[in-house]
Amino acid sequence: MSLLRVQGLFKAFAAIRAVDSVSFEVRPGEVYGLLGPNGAGKTTTISMISGLLKPDAGEVVVAGTPFWSDPQKAKRIMGVVPQELAIYEELTGRENLEFWGRMAGLSSGDAKSRATELLEALTLTDRAKDVVKTYSGGMKRRINLGCALLHRPQLLLLDEPTVGIDPQARLNILEFIRSLRASGTAILYTTHYLEEAETLCHRIGIIDHGRLLAEGTLKELQERLGGDRLFVLEADLKEAAPESWDGFLSRFRVIQKTERQLVVSALGARDPSECLKDLLGLPVRVENVTLKRPSLNDVFLQLTGRELRE
Amino acid sequence: MWRVLLAKDLRRTWRNPLPVLINLALPLCVAGLVGLAFGGKSDGGALGRIRFALVDEDKTLLSDVLRGSANQREGGKYLEPVLLERDEALRQINDNQISAVLVIPTNFTRHYFSGREPVSLELIKNPAQSIHPAVMEELLGALVTAMNAVSRNLQSEFPDWQAVLEGKRDYKQIAGLIERAGDKLKQAERFINPPLVVYEKESAVDPERQEVASGTVRPGETRKRSPGAEVFGFLLPGMAGMFLLFIASNAMTDLPRELRQRTLARYHTLHHQLAPFIAGKVVFAMVVLLLCSVILLGGGGLLFGIDWRSPGPLALLSVGYAGFAAGLMAVLVALIPDERKASALNTVVAMGLALAGGCMFPPQALPAFLGKHITPLLPTHWFVDTARNLQAGGGEAAWVLALVKLLAVSVVLLGLAALWFRRHLRTGVRT
Repeated sequence: MSLLRVQGLFKAFAAIRAVDSVSFEVRPGEVYGLLGPNGAGKTTTISMISGLLKPDAGEVVVAGTPFWSDPQKAKRIMGVVPQELAIYEELTGRENLEFWGRMAGLSSGDAKSRATELLEALTLTDRAKDVVKTYSGGMKRRINLGCALLHRPQLLLLDEPTVGIDPQARLNILEFIRSLRASGTAILYTTHYLEEAETLCHRIGIIDHGRLLAEGTLKELQERLGGDRLFVLEADLKEAAPESWDGFLSRFRVIQKTERQLVVSALGARDPSECLKDLLGLPVRVENVTLKRPSLNDVFLQLTGRELRE
Repeated sequence: MWRVLLAKDLRRTWRNPLPVLINLALPLCVAGLVGLAFGGKSDGGALGRIRFALVDEDKTLLSDVLRGSANQREGGKYLEPVLLERDEALRQINDNQISAVLVIPTNFTRHYFSGREPVSLELIKNPAQSIHPAVMEELLGALVTAMNAVSRNLQSEFPDWQAVLEGKRDYKQIAGLIERAGDKLKQAERFINPPLVVYEKESAVDPERQEVASGTVRPGETRKRSPGAEVFGFLLPGMAGMFLLFIASNAMTDLPRELRQRTLARYHTLHHQLAPFIAGKVVFAMVVLLLCSVILLGGGGLLFGIDWRSPGPLALLSVGYAGFAAGLMAVLVALIPDERKASALNTVVAMGLALAGGCMFPPQALPAFLGKHITPLLPTHWFVDTARNLQAGGGEAAWVLALVKLLAVSVVLLGLAALWFRRHLRTGVRT
């Protein structure tokens, strides 16, 4: 049974459809990644799930109960890590954790002991008594994450928790999230970093312009491209029209075409060498052909016609 | 939960105290500067003793009399003459050690008694001081008037008086001289006493004097109060009235600050309603205001030597005023949840209310329409005017009414703020 089920979620700001009929679900012990560029609707989706925004349409069901029928009950099992650093810079790391623990309903003693555990888990014990404004970006991010974990939430909503920090700090946070996943926490993780989605998430939903374009495991998404390898052909393609090439579209799927590059996947179970031979026989002057494993960026490219990194 | 919220806000204020400290230091500095400019001092006297140099270049019996009378009886309370040579006197005035130099020139006595030519006393004022030299000038003017009056009335006796001063008369002649002078003064009495023109000045009744007059307190037991403290006692409630509004503004704009920093949004993802968080901020503002009231009025009182006549009513008035200030700023913040805009509007409103309410100037100094029709309606005026009246020895009954009005306005403002907050946050706290 899923811990979070989102069905037909819709939110518009004036004429802009920020979130348009988004549906997905997150199961216990699973990390569901919502992958998309800035402005795709990820934060708006999380805001509606956590009760910060009321959806115009659709339903959010938390642990089998519609969110808006009893928001307080749903919030008790949720932990939310906002994209911005929602912590008090004048307080120490420990004071922040203890405060948010008390706000989450813990007693003073429980909040203290839980803060000690989290400071250790987040490797911040030695800086626990320093005010947060003296922390580095990565340390602030860790405290920001820890503040949502005091009450051991069953469902954790993470809105781009690694944005703007150095690679080492990012690795630390990702490692910590993996440990949460292992303890059975259901995690909704939004990101625009392909590597994070590929390495951390069980299932990934690709979102753009408020619409969920595709979802599935990494493998399922790769298979949408027609196989586990892509051919990148470099040539002068200004005048080229693949649809006019004899039977080309019945043998290959075009992922991307530019003036210099054509990215295709082979349709059907064909031998790579046979495909290469086929490509070299195209009516263009081919300069180079390479083979690569399809990435999420290729999936995004195929779905939206542009790269996620753009 | 409110205790946790309050502890969090107080801790944050403690770690970043500059805004509050500025709003505490400014009113004390302004009150101190203005008070001192008007001669207020906390050492028990309005002006203190005026230290001046007396340079006696005449060295006669009359100059001795003039010199000696300067620090006798009443004069001794206010004047501190030091006998110096001219050069030393000028050196000390240049070093700002004395307020003025009074020179009795050579032959002053001889010329005064002979009446052959006008005589003059020389006064050198210290340009680095303002009040004391001016007082010296006024005193010297009074002395010269008196000497002129004596000269005009006793001119015919002066040769004999000069002979007396030179030791050329025996005691019988001196006795006759005194008798004749007494007769002349007797004749002049009808021109002097009673005076032909008088004026009356009304002033508030001093309860201490009443206590002394009624015999409940003996003169020796009256509380020691500095005349200068009365200036501070007038200024400080006004300054407190204005700057407590600024402190309330700073405390309440912490709410939009939390909205901007997303901590309010984070709180809203927890299982609590928003109302306790907002109410907690009002409680925080009230606590800060009460602490600041104690520092401003209590600490300021100690600093300036103010003996508050009615500390109990003043403390209760401060509670009412803290409620009003917190309520007013809560309404403004609810109306404009943008931190910068709210902060700017709050400052303008606080300044306006302080000016129109008589915090900075006496209401009598305000434009007639404002002072007559607007000022009496303002809570700033209720607080400041009542506090000043209490300090002036009146307003025993009025403070209760002022307190009730302040509390009523506080309740109304807080109710309005709650309504507006609910409207603003109805669609969530995300901005």
